[in-house]
Amino acid sequence: MTEPLSEAMRALLARKREWHRAQARLPLREKVRILLELQRQDLPLLAARRPLEPWERPWEITP
Amino acid sequence: MREERVVLDYAIGGATAVLFYAEPTRTYDLDVFALLPSGEPSLASLGPIYEWARTQGFAVDAEHLLIHGVPVQILPAYDALVAEAVRDARLHDYEGTPVRVVDPEHLVALALQTGGARRRERAWQLLQADVVNRPRLQAILDAHGIDATLPGDD
Repeated sequence: MTEPLSEAMRALLARKREWHRAQARLPLREKVRILLELQRQDLPLLAARRPLEPWERPWEITP
Repeated sequence: MREERVVLDYAIGGATAVLFYAEPTRTYDLDVFALLPSGEPSLASLGPIYEWARTQGFAVDAEHLLIHGVPVQILPAYDALVAEAVRDARLHDYEGTPVRVVDPEHLVALALQTGGARRRERAWQLLQADVVNRPRLQAILDAHGIDATLPGDD
């Protein structure tokens, strides 16, 4: 049986949820900037796991 | 493309569409769903699109068109849900350019229909972002026979 969450844990999860919602409300230009950063960070990890497809590379754009 | 009737209509889908409504998620290509004049959802029906892209000077790399530094994959509307998603797409503005983007309810429905861990995560992100009209989503799922239990807000 799952134990009920403590008040502190519920508050922590609520803050986490709000953080995700705040990320969702960012201006599109800022989200594109984050996406480009994610692409740059993720690519070496992906390349270490498997051969990359030719199109798997950070977009050559300025947000 | 629309003006030259290469496609009847289009809408951005996939992870790039999610960007318009929810937090950023990693992707390397941009999916575009297209309603084609031929009405055929086959890959061969994409020929005129690739031809159009070449005449515009865009490089073609396997199934992707390289448009202004972004690999774009055109997907013909392959079933009724995708066709509806294109027809009901929302018009957004990106840096002064109007773009048609699949709405959040159809993005979730498409993610649940197609399945896979990353797509389920995408559906969850949209639901968490509080941008999905749940009754409308449920109506879409019912209309297209997609049997899925929607996660809650926790």
